[in-house]
Amino acid sequence: MTATTDTPRPRPRPSLRERVGRVLSRPTFRFGAVVLLPTLIWYAIFVFAPILRSIQLSLLDYNLLDPGSSRFAGLDNFADLFANHRFWVGVGNTVSWSILSFIFIVPISLLLAACLASVSRGRAVYQAVIFLPVVVSVVALGVLFRVLMDPQVGFFNRVLAMVGLPAFSWLSSSDTALVTLVGISAWKSIGLFVVILTAGMLNIPGEVYDAARVDGAGRWQLFRRVTLPLLLPTLALVMVLITIGSLQEYTLPTVVTGAPGLQGGPGESTLLYNLVVYDEAFTYVRFGTASAAALIEFVVILGISLVWLRVLRARY
Amino acid sequence: MTVRGSQNARDRSGQLVSRALPHIVLLIACFVAVAPFVWAFLGSLKPFRELVSSSDMLPKVWTLKAYTDILGRINITDAFKNSILIGLVITISSLITSSALGYVFAKYRFPGRDLLFLLLVSTLMIPFMVILVPLYITVADAGLVNSQAGVIVVSLWTSLGIFMMRQFIANIPTELIDAARIDGASEFYVYRRIILPLSASPLAALGVLVFLGSWDSFLWPSTVLTSPENQTVPLLLSGLRSLHFGRYDLWSAGSMLTIIPVMVVYLFASRYFIRGVSMTGLKG
Repeated sequence: MTATTDTPRPRPRPSLRERVGRVLSRPTFRFGAVVLLPTLIWYAIFVFAPILRSIQLSLLDYNLLDPGSSRFAGLDNFADLFANHRFWVGVGNTVSWSILSFIFIVPISLLLAACLASVSRGRAVYQAVIFLPVVVSVVALGVLFRVLMDPQVGFFNRVLAMVGLPAFSWLSSSDTALVTLVGISAWKSIGLFVVILTAGMLNIPGEVYDAARVDGAGRWQLFRRVTLPLLLPTLALVMVLITIGSLQEYTLPTVVTGAPGLQGGPGESTLLYNLVVYDEAFTYVRFGTASAAALIEFVVILGISLVWLRVLRARY
Repeated sequence: MTVRGSQNARDRSGQLVSRALPHIVLLIACFVAVAPFVWAFLGSLKPFRELVSSSDMLPKVWTLKAYTDILGRINITDAFKNSILIGLVITISSLITSSALGYVFAKYRFPGRDLLFLLLVSTLMIPFMVILVPLYITVADAGLVNSQAGVIVVSLWTSLGIFMMRQFIANIPTELIDAARIDGASEFYVYRRIILPLSASPLAALGVLVFLGSWDSFLWPSTVLTSPENQTVPLLLSGLRSLHFGRYDLWSAGSMLTIIPVMVVYLFASRYFIRGVSMTGLKG
């Protein structure tokens, strides 16, 4: 490995040995080596080796007590996984979670971003307040919402009762738990998407709007015909983030539903994909199927990211 | 005349409404964003009996009993110490590694540089679940299970930070660095005296992002840390659900204790929070 700076090389060609010696004694080489070597070692141990190990594990019948004697299992782990009904429950719930997240997040964050982009005063303050739930600990929020959403004594149902509405079951019924959980998650994350979309809207040059206004476009038409099309790349990013976020959702359902060990309830109504993977690994201690399940998730996320990059490339 | 006057008035009031509309929507959004915290905070100041029986927002009896209770019953101070220690070490390490690598990737030329950079940054796409099991096996083999080192060691570098800092440092004029080199400055001196001071703002955003990430982190610490004295704050809070089942006063007080410090810092540095967290979103 050689390291050179932007300075031009001296003309007369010295011998190979001299050249290597010169490179090695360069201050940039030493600094570069000091920075890069530990980095490479760390990435090798804590990122790349685990990925390869994960692929290996997914093909093994892992023997916990004597890992050395683990038997090659081919695609058995994947077959076991597909035969496990929890896998399909996890897939179904995660797909529902993504769709519900879209429904909750996209329209509201668009509306809020449009409002933020149109006000001249107080934008930073509004943005800071709306962003607040994003920075708060998921676990703390999960515990708080458990209290607020208690069907008998929680504040939410008290308020409903005060205005004469029937009590809602929130997290305590398998019919409403998933949608309630997505609501909490959307409430927590919407500030991020509002900030991204507002930045996207403010990036649209004002002349475009002026031109459209001269042509007699109204407010709704401006939004529909100018803002939305020009915002499409940003909107696509938001959708990718929501999808990937849904696939990786773990902490909120874990903390909010059930006691430790009984996550994903009531029943299996909030058993998301990552909860299935985690249980495979650490409750049932089946490292092989857990790794297989995690790799499937990886491939899906990789696919989404690549499609997204493709879309970006095509546009610019 | 009168007709025109009334039309003008209607126009003006119409304009006023359409001017005020975004503000009204935003105020509602602000209310929705803040209300649960206020309700929960006020709830945490009620005695347990009142918390589970009264629907008034304001406490009839104001008390800090839930807070004194939780401080007396569980090791929340230890959990705070653990969380802060882990957060600080991870943050400082990430800032150093990200800025140094950012400098090397932005200003050095060596074969394979761009490929290596791409390789490191592409690891951002790897879901943590994929490496969770092998990582656990590695950390267990190293004897680091149930130790803070086991939590820290997997977060010493951050690909997102490397990416952010490279993008920023690439915009620092190379002439500035060359001038220092001609004056005899060592590479470490350039890094310490030119790169770091000029990158203060993105480093602050990155620092906030990394610290928050560590402060909230649940999946990995809950896998690695097992004994109560090593717990971080999120683990302890999560444990409250079974340890003190139904004690909503303790749950509320514990959550508020976690949330309030972050909110206080947020009050003064919301800019860096927003910039830092948004960058996770804008990495694509």
